[in-house]
Amino acid sequence: MSSIIALGLTLMVCMVAVGGKQGWRSFLSLLLNFGFLFFAIVLIDFHVPPMFVTLTTSIIILAITIFMGEDDLRTTVTAFYASLIVMMLVLALILIVTHWAMAQGFGQEDSDDLEGMSILIGISYLKVSVTATIISILGAIAEAAMAVSAGLSEVLINYPDVDNHRLMASGMSIGRQIIGTTLNTLFFGFFGGFLSLFIWFLGLHYSFGMIMNNKILVAEAIEVLISFIGVLLTVPITAWVMTKRRGAIVDNQAKQK
Amino acid sequence: MSWKWTRTKWWVLIIIVVVGIGAMIFTMNNQRFYRQPIGQVITVHNGQSHRTTDQFKNIDHQTSQRLTVRIMNGHYQGQTAKVSNTYSDSQPMDQRFYHGNQIFLSQLHANKRGQLMANASGYKRDTVIVFLLWMVVLLLLVLMGTSGAFALLSVVINGILFILAIVIDLDNQGAHVLLTFGSLALAFAAISLLLVLGPNKKMLATLLATIVGTVISIMVGLFILELTHHRGVYYESMQYVTQVPRPLFIAEILLGSLGAVMDESSDIIATLFELKQLNPAIGRWQLFMSGRNVGKSIMGPLVNVLFLIFMADTFTSSLLFLKNGNSWGYTFDMNMSLGMVQSLISGIGIVIVVPVVSALGALLLGRRKSA
Repeated sequence: MSSIIALGLTLMVCMVAVGGKQGWRSFLSLLLNFGFLFFAIVLIDFHVPPMFVTLTTSIIILAITIFMGEDDLRTTVTAFYASLIVMMLVLALILIVTHWAMAQGFGQEDSDDLEGMSILIGISYLKVSVTATIISILGAIAEAAMAVSAGLSEVLINYPDVDNHRLMASGMSIGRQIIGTTLNTLFFGFFGGFLSLFIWFLGLHYSFGMIMNNKILVAEAIEVLISFIGVLLTVPITAWVMTKRRGAIVDNQAKQK
Repeated sequence: MSWKWTRTKWWVLIIIVVVGIGAMIFTMNNQRFYRQPIGQVITVHNGQSHRTTDQFKNIDHQTSQRLTVRIMNGHYQGQTAKVSNTYSDSQPMDQRFYHGNQIFLSQLHANKRGQLMANASGYKRDTVIVFLLWMVVLLLLVLMGTSGAFALLSVVINGILFILAIVIDLDNQGAHVLLTFGSLALAFAAISLLLVLGPNKKMLATLLATIVGTVISIMVGLFILELTHHRGVYYESMQYVTQVPRPLFIAEILLGSLGAVMDESSDIIATLFELKQLNPAIGRWQLFMSGRNVGKSIMGPLVNVLFLIFMADTFTSSLLFLKNGNSWGYTFDMNMSLGMVQSLISGIGIVIVVPVVSALGALLLGRRKSA
């Protein structure tokens, strides 16, 4: 058995043991996200316009991550609307920043890996980098929206009469409590994966100026910083969507009783 | 915390905006701090573009450019130089330059007729980074206030520790990769949680759960990798490797998942405290179930967070592999197998920590009630 299948099965067992049916759905969401991510690459390989692939794949991945991560519609619908709003804002920012930074494709440090490859593939690497950047941060946006939304649902369920102002304040309060660790998640998620690149930079004594203008590092830094911005925007936007949708949540709660 | 715009808050905002604009202007005019010559493009002449085709029937177009640049720093400051450049439609490693672009020059020299010649070796990108950093700081402080400042501080300290760990690792020639990054992971966790949550029960519970969860997941992951003899895991496909790849990869998993496990633990604990605050009489079992409920709904998205971060990085190179006539399977093996293993082991950690942290939180908050 290959290691990946064995690890996948272990994860599945853990998820089902802890989360039951919902754990199973979380596992399926991971599989589906992988499928759509790979499918996105294949579509771009077939010269489908990258922007179209970006938009459809992003919405699908957000929907999968949110609706399959949790079956409580009170939490998920709010989180989904909020993350769609944030996604559009962030996409606009990514479009501006990537065209400004021109950090697409490969850097000189990639030369070894590219040996024997034909890199002139006739597809704009800039557009591909927009796709990769937005996909890399969708999870973070969905997760933050879910966390704030789940917390606020718990508050609403326990205290249906709480006013909008207090609800917004609760949202920001939950946001404040999660923001530090969320930023750390993203920081480590991105930079942990680029440990070897930093060892390369420091080992070969790159100057500070070289690092700040290095194509690969700039591309990576754009992903990290935009994901920070995305998560930061998610907190108030989710709380705001929740104040608009509180009626639906309290009604649902009443029906379930 | 109130949302009133106090006078201090306005001052902080004004200072951030001024500092930000100052930093942007500085990076636009910091050429003299660079040793490498930088030139600003003043004229552009594009040549005829011609079609290129490779053996995989990929069609692209290449165009040559003749640029005149004004040199902005160093010995030749103020003089103009001729630069020739070639760009393609897809721009993988090349780039099309426009009037006003600032580019790094290499091999700057005068030819026989005294005309300066140079090659374009890179694009000046530091302004973008400074702009984004400034946006992050602004949003963090305006939206999150003091918590934002502490979050920022913890990221900065972690960044410094991260570099420190790499320096230590390089001093040892990569001999004790796991020891170095393992002990630093512990320091990261303690410092970040201390800064984000403060020195209290909340922080201790989160830290304890983080350590237990991470250790278990790495052990389980390594055990399964050994059991299956690392089959289908292509360590040689790791990028930018200058040291033995395997321990480096495990260190990457450790660091990569650490943040997520802390994130989840503190999300659960945060909700438990919020509930406790709204209803001080809440019981242990109810807290445990609430914690598990939050954890259950967060673990899926959180596993997806890391999965998408790890996998999106492989997007460009996977596309290149497909475009070079490789099969889907080979493309996956060579580009995505490591990201997949990293996602799965991190995922196991994220799931295991849910019951651990819920139980810890319930015990801690229950005890406070009886005291």
